[in-house]
Parts: sequence; C-alpha cells; structure tokens
Amino acid sequence: MLLSTSTAVKPAQLLFGKQLQTLLKQGAVVSARNAQTEAAASSSSSSVPAQQSAVQGSPPQEKIPYSPFTHNKANAVEYVLARADDVLNWGRKSSIWPLTFGLACCAVEMMHIAAPRYDMDRYGVVFRATPRQADLLIVAGTVTNKMAPALRKIYDQMPDPRWVISMGSCANGGGYYHYSYSVVRGCDRLIPVDIYVPGCPPTAEALMYGILQLQKKIKRMKSSQIWYRK
Amino acid sequence: MALDLFRPLKNLYKIVKQNGGVTGSLYKLFRQDELKWGELVGEDKFGNKYYKNDYYFYGRNRWVEYNDKVWLDYDGSQVCPEWYGWLHYKTDYLPHEDPGRPVYPWMQAHTQNLSGTRQQYIPYTTTKPKIEAWVPPSKK
Repeated sequence: MLLSTSTAVKPAQLLFGKQLQTLLKQGAVVSARNAQTEAAASSSSSSVPAQQSAVQGSPPQEKIPYSPFTHNKANAVEYVLARADDVLNWGRKSSIWPLTFGLACCAVEMMHIAAPRYDMDRYGVVFRATPRQADLLIVAGTVTNKMAPALRKIYDQMPDPRWVISMGSCANGGGYYHYSYSVVRGCDRLIPVDIYVPGCPPTAEALMYGILQLQKKIKRMKSSQIWYRK
Repeated sequence: MALDLFRPLKNLYKIVKQNGGVTGSLYKLFRQDELKWGELVGEDKFGNKYYKNDYYFYGRNRWVEYNDKVWLDYDGSQVCPEWYGWLHYKTDYLPHEDPGRPVYPWMQAHTQNLSGTRQQYIPYTTTKPKIEAWVPPSKK
C-alpha cells in the first residue's frame, strides 16, 4: 500500500489478491523496492494530512489507503511485516466469532443483530456457544457478583487474540444497578474491555456499530511488527 | 398497469448504466456490497452523495454513497447532521429546502467519530476518589 500511495492508485491494486501477489514477489524485488520505499517514505508524509483532515471534518484530498501502516517504513523487513499484519488483520477482522453471553435484556438486542434485519453474518460474525472457539466476548447485561467468577473464567478460557465488547449501561458501569449490593460496577473491573457500547439497552444498530468499530481496531493491530521490535 | 416481464432486465440495465458500466458496477459492489439506481438529490460538505428512489421499499429508498476518497474507511458518523434527518426519515425536507434550520455562529463543526485517533475524547475525573485503596503494611 505504501507503494501505491506514491504512484497513481488503481482500485484493483488495493484488492487483497493483489496484495498477496506483491507479498510473494517481495523476495525478488527487494532492492528495487528499497529505493521505492525510500521515495515513498517522503511522499507518505503528504498522505498523513489527508487522513487527519478526514477525521477533523473536511473531505480528504487523497484516497485513504486500505492499510493503516503507511508511515516510516524504512526498510524491506518492516514493509513485509506491515503487509503481513495487513493480511493477518484482514483475516481476523472478517471472522469475529462472538460468544453467546447474554445476561439481561441487552441479550435481546444481541439476538437481534443475529436476525435477518441486522444480519451480523454479513461481517463474518457468527455466534459460537463455547469460549474455546470464540474471539469476542459480548458482555450483554448486568454482571452480578455471583456471575463475576464465571465471567472471568469464561474470559480465561478464550484463546488469544480475544476481544471484549461491553454492551449497555450495566456492563459499562453498573448502570441502573450501580448502587446495588450485588452488582459489579462495570465489567471492566473483571476483564479488559475493547469497545464500550452505550445505551440501555443499546439498539441492535448500536451494537453493530460497536462491532464495526472493533473491526477498525483490529485493523490497527501490529502483531508481527511488535514481534519484530522485540 | 400491465405486468412488465422485462422490468428486472430494465432495472439491471439502469443500475449498470448509472454505476459506470460493468467494471464500475463491480467496483461499487466490492466497496459497498450493494448496487442501486436512483436520483442524486444532493451532496454534503464531506463529499458524500445522497440518493433517493421510491422504487425501493420504504427504509431502503434513501441512501448515502460515501466519498470515494475514504475508500473502505467509511463510517456512519461521516453523515453530517444536515443530512442525518432526511436519511433517517425524521423529515422529508432536504437540508436546503427546510426553513426551520437556523445556523448560529456558536455551532460546532461536525466531525466523524474520533475514537481510536489522537483526537479522541478521554474522560477524566476532577474529584477526589471517595474510596482509597488499602496499602498493605510492608514487612521489614
């Protein structure tokens, strides 16, 4: 993606298959690519304001590249690792399997996103009934003190990488039951949370938006780049 | 009205024509998973285009096509507040037609959801915590 920002961007170049091809060709054209990444490193600074302006409120001037890793890729190894992360994140974000963990009325809305109107299967999000096969834990509802050890145990049983969406006021911070003697004041006292979805209960649409935000977050993961940094 | 057996084909022709031929249609299908034909009713300051076609059922007859520049990073919060009401059937007025929309100088410019960027909102407490953690006495 770094290369295509420096040259004219063709839409087909951004497709996944093409990306894989460039990955495979990597070994053959490392020297040529080195020079190109040098050139692109200077031009990539121009793509930063475009992204910034997109978030700040004016329309972007350049096309925003698919990959979030376009900056400061000085050498070939880092380039390869960035592309490897892209592929890895693409796979992870397109098949998030949540665990069916409904605790209260939020669970009804969680069922709704599985139903045809919101249809989470479009995004490769499919409910699994066991934590061993789940990537995502949607804490939908009030976490009581009695449920707390079970929630922690379920989280511990999930394989890495795992994510948590806290759904609704009760899971976010106790909500209506904040001052109850038997309720945990937010599930982030038990497990680390990635996305908080506000609402009481949040609509299915809001939860779907939360899942899309999680996809964006997964897209920024730097698994292999961090492994190399170590 | 007589039953038009060729209507699906005619619609397909309209769709492909409006979306820029076969390659353009495939491009759009890849990006937004949907192909429609309709009337362009306006464009907002972010470059998103708003369409309308009452041939489709209520709830699907108004839609937005996000600015091409954002590519796959489009997001529901990129719809600006002027168009939000029309897109969500709160009103049938288009933004420029609606008389009841004053613009005041103190109004903030709309931004998309900034979560996950450097500009994101991070809450912090300004009061002293009511509960203090217990610090166990250290053994000497």
